[in-house]
Amino acid sequence: MKTWPIWIAGTIVLAAVLHILTIFALPYGIMDRAMAGIAAQAGGVNKALYPEPATAGSRGIVRPSPDLLYTACVYDIGARPLRITSPVPDTYWSLSMFASNTDNFFVVNDRQTKTGGIEIILATDDTAKNGNDAQVVIAPSSRGIILFRSLIASDAARPEIDALRRQSRCEPL
Amino acid sequence: MKLVLKLLASFVVALVLGVGSALLLLRGGAGLGGAIAVGPWTTSAETGSADADPYTRARIAIGGLLALSRSETIYFTAATDDAGAPLRTRCAYRIIGTDPPARWWSITAYGADHFLIPNPQDRYSFGGNTLAREDDGSFVIFVGPAAADGNWIPTGEKDGTFTLTLRLYNPNEDAARDPSRIELPRIAGEACPS
Repeated sequence: MKTWPIWIAGTIVLAAVLHILTIFALPYGIMDRAMAGIAAQAGGVNKALYPEPATAGSRGIVRPSPDLLYTACVYDIGARPLRITSPVPDTYWSLSMFASNTDNFFVVNDRQTKTGGIEIILATDDTAKNGNDAQVVIAPSSRGIILFRSLIASDAARPEIDALRRQSRCEPL
Repeated sequence: MKLVLKLLASFVVALVLGVGSALLLLRGGAGLGGAIAVGPWTTSAETGSADADPYTRARIAIGGLLALSRSETIYFTAATDDAGAPLRTRCAYRIIGTDPPARWWSITAYGADHFLIPNPQDRYSFGGNTLAREDDGSFVIFVGPAAADGNWIPTGEKDGTFTLTLRLYNPNEDAARDPSRIELPRIAGEACPS
């Protein structure tokens, strides 16, 4: 009996499985690499990193905007929730959170905050609500990235905006 | 022994076909891909969203990691000019338009590797708050290797393809609801030395 048709069919099925696995695994792999890069520079997870504005030498995250100041934390809330605090400047500003599969599961901007600052608790479940006035955000994954964006409205405003974003913090509860 | 070799050969062929076709699909398309097109600009309604299909999610991970969902920011990407010719760093272009409907916007050039294009001027973008305007409020941005008066994004000295990203931060409600109806700048191809 000829076995080559079975071999060809088997190879095609295996190729299809590997194709699907690649498509599903890529976002996790790329996110893992980004998290490792940020955590290495920040000195660990649950710590903020304050990179300089992006230039052609910035090779960490693809397609950065040179008009924004980015502040980033890798979160790891498997053991304890995280308290995120930041002043909110008088320019476009946003705080966004990304799950380990790259999904943007939370975003808030300066116009949606009422006071000059923000405090958010990031947790894996809502038990962190107990005794906390701060807004609690439930993350779909225990690891991911928190990203603050501050628009550099003008060269003159840059020092003030830079000083404010350096007060953004990520600290375990 | 023969069976082991056959299994190994089958696995290698499947690996090349499966992983290769996945990478080709993700990297082969123009720009970041996306179902919504306005002239040469394209965007995906699902960027950053949990509704993103696996291919969109993988494409964004490669070319737009940490992108925001469209209620916050719409990212349009162009890999060609108005005539459909791929954008090349050795060619000159004029981006002509008026302010898109958003709180703030910017246009940034990226090399084929998705990073900012090295240039001696260290200039990579113009935003609604930083560019010089015509008398009627419209704008022209020059993109190319040779210095130009006014708003100029240099494309450096190396030849290659590049893409432009137009960011619309806090787009107006109508724009966020239906990005395909937004009026976007034209990308006119100018001189292109052969």
